[in-house]
Amino acid sequence: MAEQQGTLPYGIGRFSARLFTLIAGLLLLVAWGLFAYSRQLLEGLVVTGLRDIGTMGGAAWGLYITFDVYFVGVSFAGITVAALIRLFHLDHLRPVSRMAEALTITALILAAFSVMADLGQPLRGFVNLFRYARPQSPFFGTFTLVIAGYLFASLVYLYLDGRRDAALLARRPSRLQGFYRLWAAGYRDTPAERARHDRVTLWLALAIVPLLVTAHSTLGFVFGIQSGRPGWYSTLQAPGFVVMAGVSGIGLLLIIAAIMRAILPEGERVHRGIFRWLGTLLLLLIVAYLYFMVAELLTTMYAGSRHETEISRSLLAGEFAWLFWGSVAGLVLGALVLSLRFLPASFQARIPTISPRWGMVLGIGALILIGLRALQGLDLFSPFSVTTARWLAWLAVALALIAFLLLLPFLTRNVVAAGVAAGILVNFAAIGKRVLLVVPSQTQGMLLPYGPGWYKPTWVEISIIVGLFALGILLYVLFFKIFPVMEVHPTEEGAE
Amino acid sequence: MTAVARYAMVIDLDRCTGCRACMMACKVENNTPEANFWMYVFRFEEGQYPNTHIWFMPRPCMHCDNPPCAKVCPVGARYKRLDGLVATDWDRCIGCRYCEVACPYGVNYFNWKKPSKNYYLDWQDEDVQKVTGGAVPPYRNPDLDQPYGVERRRTAGGGRLMGVIEKCTFCVHRVERGQQPACVQNCPLFALHFGDLDDPNSTVSQLLRRKPSFRLLEELGTEPRVYYVGGHPPSTESRQIEEVKARV
Repeated sequence: MAEQQGTLPYGIGRFSARLFTLIAGLLLLVAWGLFAYSRQLLEGLVVTGLRDIGTMGGAAWGLYITFDVYFVGVSFAGITVAALIRLFHLDHLRPVSRMAEALTITALILAAFSVMADLGQPLRGFVNLFRYARPQSPFFGTFTLVIAGYLFASLVYLYLDGRRDAALLARRPSRLQGFYRLWAAGYRDTPAERARHDRVTLWLALAIVPLLVTAHSTLGFVFGIQSGRPGWYSTLQAPGFVVMAGVSGIGLLLIIAAIMRAILPEGERVHRGIFRWLGTLLLLLIVAYLYFMVAELLTTMYAGSRHETEISRSLLAGEFAWLFWGSVAGLVLGALVLSLRFLPASFQARIPTISPRWGMVLGIGALILIGLRALQGLDLFSPFSVTTARWLAWLAVALALIAFLLLLPFLTRNVVAAGVAAGILVNFAAIGKRVLLVVPSQTQGMLLPYGPGWYKPTWVEISIIVGLFALGILLYVLFFKIFPVMEVHPTEEGAE
Repeated sequence: MTAVARYAMVIDLDRCTGCRACMMACKVENNTPEANFWMYVFRFEEGQYPNTHIWFMPRPCMHCDNPPCAKVCPVGARYKRLDGLVATDWDRCIGCRYCEVACPYGVNYFNWKKPSKNYYLDWQDEDVQKVTGGAVPPYRNPDLDQPYGVERRRTAGGGRLMGVIEKCTFCVHRVERGQQPACVQNCPLFALHFGDLDDPNSTVSQLLRRKPSFRLLEELGTEPRVYYVGGHPPSTESRQIEEVKARV
């Protein structure tokens, strides 16, 4: 970890050829998404798979709202973790604090974009949402509490939290010196200043925790208080949103932390303890979510009206069953992977060592098959007949199980890999669960006998979502190319 | 007008023969784009052969007194008027479609594409213009462009703008001139009635006094202003025949 004279830590300002390739690729994807959006702007939302509920038998909300919910959910992790670290003095977790904050901000920006993509009159949206704002609408909370309040609070938190590092980095000559000087804004890291910052961030963290619960709840209420949509109308919707937000957000944070650990020369600072702590938090959240899910399903299946039961049946055994059980499997397997480390040490010692290679190969094979099945399920790409697809889906399940068993010894011993595996599993599950929240209640949840509808996203929607993901990664990467991803240590400060 | 009226529609299911003339009248009057049915007539079949029977249920917007659509609108484009009409201000709508997912009756229609490109007849087409001879296309009906109600907001007609929501207006432009909505006016069997519930002599008041009535999905508490007499609500037994699955 020899620091070269005059260079900044954490790879700031260093752009390798590989990074340029990555950025170019991401820019291409963003451009493709923009092109898709231009089609939508010119021709209208007819280019999407969305249609009217009722005689058209469609879904008026689809992937855009699904991913809006997902992105807002992901934003949970960041600021929650950062605030928890500050509130409970979890100093050993400090290395992921800034990654988490940046994740929150990026995710919220993406959430705002995906809502804009959903609007039929986006330009009017910018003006009218403020000019004619109605607090009675659950959307009001989405725009004020989530997009505005939450984003603003997170930005302020990120700014204050990074001020000391900016001050330290501003002391040494670099092309970014002016930027750091601007960020530090006169901060010189004296004990008095440090104490003042400590106090401010404490109060800000205290304010952020209730804000984030409220913000995620308002998004849940967008769905939860609609008595006219079976499957949505539920008190558990808002708490479920908060918990699911945590699941997807912490999952993504685990993945990001592992990537940083692997690629940064200072990566060892993201130590195993962090993965253990985040993993345990994730495990608790998954278990809470599964409990909510079972409680809700029992209520609708046992006492629910005919329409509620119909929705639940379409999830459990109907046309959405593959997605439902896939998502549940993702959550359960994620929880299993995360609980491996609680096995008694004597038992762990007896597990034979198996190279993870074969498990990974099988796992990737299973993922590809499941992906094909998902494409067929969405009617996007159907290379197989329905029967073949069903058999292939079962084959994928079998492969995934074998892969899982083969990977178990590796995941038991490697807490980082376990965190990443769980993170990937729960994020797929989170997206699946959000699709299941948004779509079936519209296509199967009509209270008048219109007959069942269908929704299949088009290339426009998928391109815009992919473009948004690319934009998010791009923003994230670029931010950490100009600002340290972790705290700057005084030793590095003295490197000049 | 001295006092504000309390408008309502009464639909006599005993009289409806499912001819769908109301659907046609609505489309002509309001110039709704293709596949949009502000008024829709369900055709139901019940029972098992040979003991079956067929019945019909027109479905306009319910113009609820507790409208879920107006509650959720983030900009107040969907609102409840004093006389009971639930109106859509297409000058203000941002196209988020929240009203549509909130409505349990499925009466909202979004302009998925440019309405001018979504009519059954393309009035801009040269061959068509040879026949129409420069006549004003129905979607340019000046009545539909006027502001209505005490709020003076443009709420009449359909096919206005890409990316906004539209639905049955109870023909606000006709009602404000003392006329009946187009569907009511054109029903050949007097199955549809429209009038003021506060006027004891209006047809709707008399019908509701004389016959037992129900409203759709009353259990949701939406308090619809559309009453049905002489029949029963659709149940699990009601199978839709000839369902319209027209998509844009």
